[in-house]
Amino acid sequence: MTGLSLVHAGRPARGMTARGYGAWLGVLGLLLVWEALAHVVSGAFVLAAPTEILAYLVEDRGLVTRALGVTLGNAALGYVFGNLAAIALAALALLWPRSERIVTGLALLVYCLPLVATGPILRVLFGPGAGPQITLAALAVYYTTLIPLLVGLRAAPAGWFDLVRSYGRGRWSELVHVRLMASLPYLFAGLQIAAPAAFLGAMVGEFTGAERGLGVLTVRAIRALDVDMTWGVATVATAVAILAYVGLGMIARRFLRDAPPVILAAPASDTVRDSGSGWKAAIGVTVIALAGWALAFWVFDLNPFFAKGPMDVLDALLLAEDAGATRGTLAVALSETAVYLLPGYFAGLAAGAGLAMLLVLVPVIAGTAMPLAIALRSVPIVTTAPLVVLLLGRGATGTIVLVAVMVFFPTFVACLHGLRQAPGQVLDVFDSFAAGPVSRLVRVRIPAMLPAFFAAARMAVPASVLAVTVVEWLATGAGIGSLMAMSASLSDFDMLWSSVVLVAAISALGYALVGSVERRILRVYAPEQLT
Amino acid sequence: MAPDVTPPPEIICSGLAKTFDGRTEAVRPTDVTFHAGQTTALVGPSGCGKSTLLRMVAGLEAPSAGQLLIGGMPPAETLQNAALSIAFQDPSLLPWRTVRGNIALALSLARRPVDDAEIDQLISLVGLDGFAEARPAELSGGMRQRAAMARALVTRPGLLLLDEPFGAVDELTRHQLAQDLPRIWEARGTTTLLVTHSVTEAVLLSDRVIVLSPRPAEIIADIAIPLDRPRESGIERSPDFGDLTDAVYAALSRGMTLDRPPLAAQ
Ligand SMILES: Nc1ncnc2c1ncn2[C@@H]1O[C@H](COP(=O)(O)OP(=O)(O)OP(=O)(O)O)[C@@H](O)[C@H]1O
Ligand SMILES: [Mg+2]
Repeated sequence: MTGLSLVHAGRPARGMTARGYGAWLGVLGLLLVWEALAHVVSGAFVLAAPTEILAYLVEDRGLVTRALGVTLGNAALGYVFGNLAAIALAALALLWPRSERIVTGLALLVYCLPLVATGPILRVLFGPGAGPQITLAALAVYYTTLIPLLVGLRAAPAGWFDLVRSYGRGRWSELVHVRLMASLPYLFAGLQIAAPAAFLGAMVGEFTGAERGLGVLTVRAIRALDVDMTWGVATVATAVAILAYVGLGMIARRFLRDAPPVILAAPASDTVRDSGSGWKAAIGVTVIALAGWALAFWVFDLNPFFAKGPMDVLDALLLAEDAGATRGTLAVALSETAVYLLPGYFAGLAAGAGLAMLLVLVPVIAGTAMPLAIALRSVPIVTTAPLVVLLLGRGATGTIVLVAVMVFFPTFVACLHGLRQAPGQVLDVFDSFAAGPVSRLVRVRIPAMLPAFFAAARMAVPASVLAVTVVEWLATGAGIGSLMAMSASLSDFDMLWSSVVLVAAISALGYALVGSVERRILRVYAPEQLT
Repeated sequence: MAPDVTPPPEIICSGLAKTFDGRTEAVRPTDVTFHAGQTTALVGPSGCGKSTLLRMVAGLEAPSAGQLLIGGMPPAETLQNAALSIAFQDPSLLPWRTVRGNIALALSLARRPVDDAEIDQLISLVGLDGFAEARPAELSGGMRQRAAMARALVTRPGLLLLDEPFGAVDELTRHQLAQDLPRIWEARGTTTLLVTHSVTEAVLLSDRVIVLSPRPAEIIADIAIPLDRPRESGIERSPDFGDLTDAVYAALSRGMTLDRPPLAAQ
């Protein structure tokens, strides 16, 4: 999952509290219900009981361990490369501020590439080996590290920079004495989100034609309709992702004195001041992206059968004899995808914001819900896609639910945090007028929540596109994800590249669209956010 | 003790003015000279432009009109030589550094060797004994301001700019600091500009009190304080002291009722 708005939960209490016992009892109860349910529906081939999962994992432990080792290795390499790239890009933007818009714009565009189609393309470009998986893992993490890092490098109060300047020192001292240290919590938060994301990226890379790894086992299990194996592999993937997230959190807490409560979302502010230069930046990004693409094509002298340049795609979409048919196929696929994507996206947003508001009206639960939601948000939902498909079928319901879940958690966490951000003094003023909880919610808390909500909504665009294309690729047999899968296996590279370009462009446009709605609404409700 | 690094400068403002974003006029064109080695207090109502004036002298804010010379040089030059220190209204301590680390930071920023003995001496002078290794989050607001004060003093600046340095300090400690700290900059002959909301403090600590009008700041009184130094505790109850504070109060209230032509752009 790729929720960017992140909140540090407080340190876990040491020792076992009553609530700790309660949580374990809850987990135990859940397992029992799960077990019972699995036996009730055992004829339907959808749900494996915990004992069956365990039995599978014990029996095939050699296979699973080897696959896990491969995937972990790829994920780790991708994690390192992706984060190094993020740090290098942040350094570039910092040293040369005028490049920042272009850097973040290009980074977003690359982040919007549909991993499921980038995988097969990379596979033919790289040849056999782990290259594509590692690259996809790197692609899955660099953006979620870059954005918080850029925020963190700028997060310091103006007074700290005044201090440095008052001794006649310049940007270098600012960087060394202020920015680096001030950005550490943000960097660690990014690195923490990146851990499960790298694992997810490696697995998606393996979905698309690797020889070994957990992703390969997943595909095999789905094809064989092996319920125990599907659940077993998904359980391992989920557990590893959560452990990676928790482990990095522990390392971060060792490094950082105290985890400050920060919300990490790419601020809308940069693009807010003048949308005119936003357009210029967008055009600049597009031009540079096209030029870079054409240049790479030319420099690496790629095989024109499977590597397509901008002109090839233009040709396939507009000029070739069968361009009309290609466009028709793409339009049908995209409209099928829209039917899954849009309801899922909006349902996820509505559920996340709605539940957060509900919880704020019942504050007792909110304290418990937050850590739980943060933990669940770390689960790479896409690795559980096979399960959702098993449970809810290959039709629309399963896909929509998966997209909704993917959007739900980051939105929920961001909104809950935003709602609690409401300035205490303002709330006190409302108290003094004896305003009811609903009035407080509407007049103080929701405006305070809007920036976080929109930041989450923006980041959810690429995330939900990733979710929908993965499910379509794996299971649904409809939509653009399935079209990409088919084109890859039929070696229809014109179609594959065209789909990649279209999906990335639509995803980036969606992101920009949410951003522009965000600006309009914030201008009215939270103008102070726009500075 | 190491020799003073920089001699105290004279500050000449001619026609110095600041307007923010072409709209908010904060400081009206001002001609004033702050004499070398003197302590000048600036008093005026909240929001009148005191911090803005100080920040212009510190080179942190560019004047929108007029000229500023510090020891005959433009502020940028003074900055380059690390010849001034400013204690901000908000202490601006780096949260990941200890009190000692924050004070030492000023020395490294000023490219001076870090002298632990001197840092300890200053920590004790501002009454933070035992807190050298504490982080800002573990200090009260007043303690943070005192740490920021020690940081401002440690580089032995020729020009010291203090923006309400005791704003969050309790009455008793404030009194003690008002006794102890001036001895440092008086002994060094530092040129000091002190922004304060306390008229008593202004008269007690300075050689001259400048009273500013409500925003945009304009000088409405320039009152010399001819009291002998060192000023012993109890001087506040002397008749001379009372006359001087009365004069400052009178100027302040004159400022509040000042009838000024409406501002062109506001
Ligand atoms: N960076 C800025 N941008 C725009 N306006 C500013 C800025 N800094 C200060 N101002 C305005 O200039 C005026 C003077 O501010 P300044 O901080 O100098 O007041 P002050 O006298 O120090 O007040 P206080 O005693 O409350 O600290 C205020 O009206 C303030 O709103
Ligand atoms: Mg001020």
